Amino acid sequence: MRRLLGLLVIVLFITLFALVIASGGLGYEVPPLRVRELARQFLIYAYNPFNTTFTAKSPEAVTSIVWDFRGLDTLFETLVFYLAIIGALSLYRGVESERRTEVISLGLSPIVKTVTKVTTGIIIAVAASIALHGHLTPGGGFQGGATAAVAPLLILIVFSKYFLENLGLRKNVLLALRSIGLLGIGMTAFSALIVGLMANSPAYVFQNQPKPDAPVGLPAYIGDSLISGTLWFFNFFEMFAVAAGFTVIFLLLGIPEGEILKQLKEEAEEH
Amino acid sequence: MIDVFTFLFTICMLSIVVNLGISLYGVLYKPSLIKKIISLTIFSDSANITAIIIGYVRWRNPGEIAPPVLLNPNPTLEDIEEFAKVAVDPLPQALVLTAIVIGLAVTLFLVFLTLQIYRFYGTTDVRRIAKLKG
Repeated sequence: MRRLLGLLVIVLFITLFALVIASGGLGYEVPPLRVRELARQFLIYAYNPFNTTFTAKSPEAVTSIVWDFRGLDTLFETLVFYLAIIGALSLYRGVESERRTEVISLGLSPIVKTVTKVTTGIIIAVAASIALHGHLTPGGGFQGGATAAVAPLLILIVFSKYFLENLGLRKNVLLALRSIGLLGIGMTAFSALIVGLMANSPAYVFQNQPKPDAPVGLPAYIGDSLISGTLWFFNFFEMFAVAAGFTVIFLLLGIPEGEILKQLKEEAEEH
Repeated sequence: MIDVFTFLFTICMLSIVVNLGISLYGVLYKPSLIKKIISLTIFSDSANITAIIIGYVRWRNPGEIAPPVLLNPNPTLEDIEEFAKVAVDPLPQALVLTAIVIGLAVTLFLVFLTLQIYRFYGTTDVRRIAKLKG
């Protein structure tokens, strides 16, 4: 009976959602025939050397929205990401994994290991290019960081968790790396304000390019290279925060189950 | 007569909506916590695809639509106007991009919670966990 009721509710949900689409709730044409006026404004001002009031000086419209036009949203989404990682870590508080120095015999076959050694370098290079070219081509800090986190995951599976720790990627090192990334994001958000205070001129938090009432801002070009002011730094630091955050989670998931159960039992006996 | 584009896009939208319904069924009625998490990821992915398709542009001929990336390094005003005409909506893409990473982090947190529940109670069945005391 309850199952039937649930099924009815879900069929009703599908019908109502279809009704919303059919009645033009998501726009009369899905997908629309042309972009909305708001999107057109974003596209025009993403890289516009003729309008210095609104431009983000980044040819990639998505990155200029993520870190300039709607930068504060992204900052708080990074905060949610940070909290989710912290929540996962807090469940593992007090769990200490043993260290091993003899790691050669562990892991999969030499063929897989050799292939992994080659591909890990390629993965890191691709991740760096996605993140550091995020203001020029599709990509950015989030994508680059998520791609970079695949490399330690591969090493974790193919070699072993102990091999990864012997490389220096221990829990505390990764946490420090992630904190540096988050600190960098915070510093970049305040960079224009700090420059403005030093130059005794008005400036805003999350300011990228100079504005008419706030003439300071980060340079869009270094030499001949376009870095789009703060966007390059945001992408760079976000890559570290995301990659280190995911890697620390994978490391914790790689702790053998027996060790954790043993420590939980010891903890229960103490109480 | 029949507009092929409208037909194909309608099939696409319909499958997304049915996908949302099925994943809701999984979240609500599957007793295993792992299956609930899997359903939740399907739900969030379907919602992301909905957002992307709303930001898409219906095109008839090739070249009428382009990614929201300006390829010309020294554009004139006309180039920028032309770019704004052909590019798709970048705003849903920006939202979905962050939603995917946050969704991944939240999923990992839920996996950790489920793992901890399994360690303490020896089951991930919500019907049995609800009956436990302590």
